[in-house]
Amino acid sequence: MPQNIQFTLGDYLPEHVQPECSEHVNLKDAVDAADLTEMWNMILTLDYSVADPEELSPERRDEFLNVMSLLLKAFDR
Amino acid sequence: MLTRPEKTFTELGTKAIEQGLADPVLSSFYDCFMSAQSGEQHLRLKPFLPFLSLCSDKMPSHVPPPIFYVGSECSQRQLFGDDWASPSATAAALTTPDHDLEQASTAGYRTALLGKPYYGYARTSVTIDNNVIDIAFERLIVAVRPSIQSNYRFCAYFGVIQDFQRRL
Repeated sequence: MPQNIQFTLGDYLPEHVQPECSEHVNLKDAVDAADLTEMWNMILTLDYSVADPEELSPERRDEFLNVMSLLLKAFDR
Repeated sequence: MLTRPEKTFTELGTKAIEQGLADPVLSSFYDCFMSAQSGEQHLRLKPFLPFLSLCSDKMPSHVPPPIFYVGSECSQRQLFGDDWASPSATAAALTTPDHDLEQASTAGYRTALLGKPYYGYARTSVTIDNNVIDIAFERLIVAVRPSIQSNYRFCAYFGVIQDFQRRL
């Protein structure tokens, strides 16, 4: 017999909710520390036409973050 | 009988673009870029980003600077594929996978980083997935500051493949 477990709504985490992405926060910090913020802003506004990666779909955000990860390596910082 | 050298890397100079000898889209990128005021050149990249690859200004050894952006229609993406253009986050810095091509391309990047746009032609062979491919391409490389106050630059590469033959 399945057990009927009681729990409050605050404890409920639907499985279709995607975990919050903290990756871009870490990467932005690294880009700022490397003095490459202008490049972050330039690519984001010119190619993705947004001001914040949060405004992008998860796929487009991953794509942008991949570019930023390559940026750090390309400038060896 | 027409013969031509198997490998050619030559600078044609931007006068060739001004004389109408370049690919029309490359030519319009050049015109658009050169007509921008100092400090605003990066803004002129926007409509051409799909055709461009962008790399840093770091040339520590005799190879072109590492790439960080490969446009959706960029000739390097056409040649080396989507998987090459979007490596995993843990991969090393992105460079083109053909060592000889890398070395032969170095002079163009150096010229651009010295402040002079580079326009050249190349005919060579590259090996991709064990296939030897004969290619001919033109390419324009310019160095850009992301803003007038920036203490660094990046290079924008516009390549156009003129001929592509897989060796049988």
